[in-house]
Amino acid sequence: MGAPHIVIGGGLSGLAAAIRLARFGEPVVIIEQHNRLGGLNSYYTRNGRLYETGLHAISNFAPRKQRHAPLNKLLKQLQLSRDDLSICEQLRSEIHFPGTEPLLFSNDFSLLRDTIDDVFPHALAGFDRLVQRLDHHDPFAPAPFTATREILSSFLNDQQLIEMLLCPLLFYGSSWQDDIDFNQFTILFRAIYQDGFFRPAGTIKDLLDLLTETLIERGATIITGTGVEHLRVVDDRVESVILENGEELDCNIVISTIGSDETRRLAGKNIDKTDIVRLSFFESIFTVDSTGKTAVSKDATCIFFCRQNRLRYRKPNTPVDLKSGVISLPDNFSGREAGTMRDVRITHLANYQQWFDARAASASSYDDLKAAYARKSARVAEAYVGSFFEAITYQDSFTPLTVQRYTGKIEGAVYGSPNKHTDGACGFANMFLAGTDQGYLGIIGAMLSGVLMVNRHILPKLAK
Amino acid sequence: MTRAEIRDLIIEIIKDIDDEAQFDDVSPDEPLRDQLDLDSMDFLDIVMELRKRHKLQIPEEDYPQLATLNSCVNYLEPLLHNA
Ligand SMILES: Cc1cc2nc3c(=O)[nH]c(=O)nc-3n(C[C@H](O)[C@H](O)[C@H](O)COP(=O)(O)OP(=O)(O)OC[C@H]3O[C@@H](n4cnc5c(N)ncnc54)[C@H](O)[C@@H]3O)c2cc1C
Repeated sequence: MGAPHIVIGGGLSGLAAAIRLARFGEPVVIIEQHNRLGGLNSYYTRNGRLYETGLHAISNFAPRKQRHAPLNKLLKQLQLSRDDLSICEQLRSEIHFPGTEPLLFSNDFSLLRDTIDDVFPHALAGFDRLVQRLDHHDPFAPAPFTATREILSSFLNDQQLIEMLLCPLLFYGSSWQDDIDFNQFTILFRAIYQDGFFRPAGTIKDLLDLLTETLIERGATIITGTGVEHLRVVDDRVESVILENGEELDCNIVISTIGSDETRRLAGKNIDKTDIVRLSFFESIFTVDSTGKTAVSKDATCIFFCRQNRLRYRKPNTPVDLKSGVISLPDNFSGREAGTMRDVRITHLANYQQWFDARAASASSYDDLKAAYARKSARVAEAYVGSFFEAITYQDSFTPLTVQRYTGKIEGAVYGSPNKHTDGACGFANMFLAGTDQGYLGIIGAMLSGVLMVNRHILPKLAK
Repeated sequence: MTRAEIRDLIIEIIKDIDDEAQFDDVSPDEPLRDQLDLDSMDFLDIVMELRKRHKLQIPEEDYPQLATLNSCVNYLEPLLHNA
């Protein structure tokens, strides 16, 4: 048997790509620099409790009978059983802007439509036409960047509604500032509003364990704890992959999930120092003792908020932009038992450079800044979820530097570069991108990306 | 393999890909795609399973020959002659 295919990165896109290859008996090696798989969606333990690092809610919920829905398609392509996921659906999510009633949405699309009818009755007809337009739009057909705000303005005669509808979609999947490409908007509109949110009954560890066991069962090789140090390239072919521990692996086709510039860097290519802006986030997790006088919402799964009329989804001039954010309440999914300890997670846009400078100044100034912003963030969130500050028993925050350290993403940009490579091409004859910089985001998006790039670039070209 | 065996092989592969596939009413000369609600990803799986099980190499330009049950059998018969 010839050299194996190599998957760089053990996040969800890499795991899915490797499972897909192993399913057909292809020799495959997946390489993850950390000891633990999962990438952005992993976990750690503190005080005997498991904390998820990335998970708020998984988009693209679909009932079993919708055979062609992305979730079911993905499971089928990976030959995984839906029952192994133990799916819990969201209760409902909320979008809060000043001066208007919140919009609500759930896995039943009519809730969003009904609240729009209540809050913006004059815009309902336009909203229906927009949905019709989206239903007929093929977001996978290649197209140049098309600004979404302009299109929305032609359907919706209320700027506030436009801002509110954009808020969850930008936070959960835009690597562009302020606006978003219309194809990406269409994908996210379906994934978040028309399909909705779910999560596993247990933790993300269950999903990662399932994927890992599947890989082992199908004969894949998993290497963890040592990353790819560089790629040996001759002309435009990757000849071999050299690991941090010095090992050199010959390769057939390479799927890289670590980002486009990050991959080019491994191949010794210069990265154009362009002025692209990479967006990154600050997130805090609070564990709250709910036996006391706290009143953390038991109804909302995700709360998207903006404290000014126009959403500014862009890199802030301060370490953290407290004017907008997402609050995730992972206990509020149907079928999940909330114990007395409840988690509140809050995410805001952040400025990488300012965290970098704080860290460069001293470890303590970085820690102090983190603690200060965690406190402010909690206070901001209380307006939306109820008071909990006094009942916090544990807290942790991560900054753009944390994301960069754990995933290698330049500037800790969770959604990668704004320049996507939807065809997976990255300038090499036998290496293709999957995951964040290929363009499908989120957990289901990342996994589909891994599957689609294998389907497109490897499977049809296999020799006997 | 006989024609009947090849036909059974295809049915078995499709059932592995989609355990809900119902062959009772499948007409052998109508497209499988429409009758069983299959898409291009499913067809890729059929091709890959044939490769895995019988070391068959089916070039992309031949995929259309797998459109119906009968066209599958016609196409595969010479290839699986000695299988
Ligand atoms: C705080 C936060 C919350 C999120 N919440 C959600 C959510 O609720 N729902 C949702 O659907 N999505 C969520 N996401 C987004 C989702 O996590 C990502 O879109 C998805 O996981 C990306 O997967 P990936 O495989 O493309 O990238 P990654 O997860 O980044 O995987 C890349 C992997 O490559 C490894 N790597 C990097 N360089 C090397 C190297 N040189 N050698 C070897 N390995 C290397 C990294 O360590 C990493 O494990 C969230 C993200 C964050 C940060």
